[in-house]
Amino acid sequence: MHRISPIVKIFTRKLFPFILLYGCYLISHGHLTPGGGFQGGVIFGSAIILLGLVEGVKLTENRFKEDFLSLTKNIGMLIFILLGFVGMFLGYSFLSDFLPRGEVGTVPSAGFILFLNLTIGFMVGTGIAVIFYRTVRHEP
Amino acid sequence: MSRILAITILLILAFFFFSAVKLDYGHMHSALSEYYITHGVAETGALNMVTAIYLNYRVYDTLGEATVFFASALGVFMLLRKGGEGESDA
Amino acid sequence: MINGISIGIVIVLVGIYGILTRRNIIKMVMSLYIMNSGVILLFVSIGYIVGGQAAIFENSKKLMVDPLPQAVMLTTLVIGLGITALALALAIKIYDEYKTLNTRKLLEK
Repeated sequence: MHRISPIVKIFTRKLFPFILLYGCYLISHGHLTPGGGFQGGVIFGSAIILLGLVEGVKLTENRFKEDFLSLTKNIGMLIFILLGFVGMFLGYSFLSDFLPRGEVGTVPSAGFILFLNLTIGFMVGTGIAVIFYRTVRHEP
Repeated sequence: MSRILAITILLILAFFFFSAVKLDYGHMHSALSEYYITHGVAETGALNMVTAIYLNYRVYDTLGEATVFFASALGVFMLLRKGGEGESDA
Repeated sequence: MINGISIGIVIVLVGIYGILTRRNIIKMVMSLYIMNSGVILLFVSIGYIVGGQAAIFENSKKLMVDPLPQAVMLTTLVIGLGITALALALAIKIYDEYKTLNTRKLLEK
């Protein structure tokens, strides 16, 4: 069994918060630059997978627990549907755009695209991390 | 299936595929895309046209796609359990 | 000539060759995913306009490429990911049950 060299371990531990920050940047600026919910979510999940490959799955699971990630995935899907129903309670149709527009070019400017991007980003990111946990810790 | 038979099938399929796609790259291909480009920023407020399409004009498809991803993540979560083979409660 | 459409069709044909001639289940699932990538490249490069820029508004107004196939293919990508994840999980369960991944031996069991 090969050991991972210490350079890779130290660099990954130091780079991990910046990868998470880059993922959050891609999710929140989805309507101004290339990116969006799915792209930022995949980077979010890939950061957790990278840490799991370098450190070992037991240590990573002590930090990012599987139950908490699975709960975030389920609640993210519920919030998506509830955002659709909020528009219906205000008199418009299902999943309609009811927030006012801001000035073009800033972050809070596009209605509820920002909230949908955040919800989708969390759901995709934690979903990929949960798939990784289940595949690696499987014993026949 | 032997390789010669597979390559023969591939050559026939390649002939069909390559003769079916002939396009000109000069103008926009449909009036719907022109409507999205000319009225997109004023109606949605987003500068990214692709995000404005799949999160404002066609958000119902994104709901269906989020459901498919959620169902597949749930399926993997339920299939690969450790310990007992608790696949079906019967 | 070499453009996105030809390369997309070639990738789809490589995927079809992989499904026809391989007998391992994981290689067949990966060939399905290669076909998925080929179809996505084909559809995105159909909506290309010569001399156009990317579909994001900047201060200068020029010709833009077609944003509609790109928006539809984003959905297709994520669905392909879900399908492949579920198929690989099923392959793991098949190996647990029958101890082989060869389709000829699986047909006999």
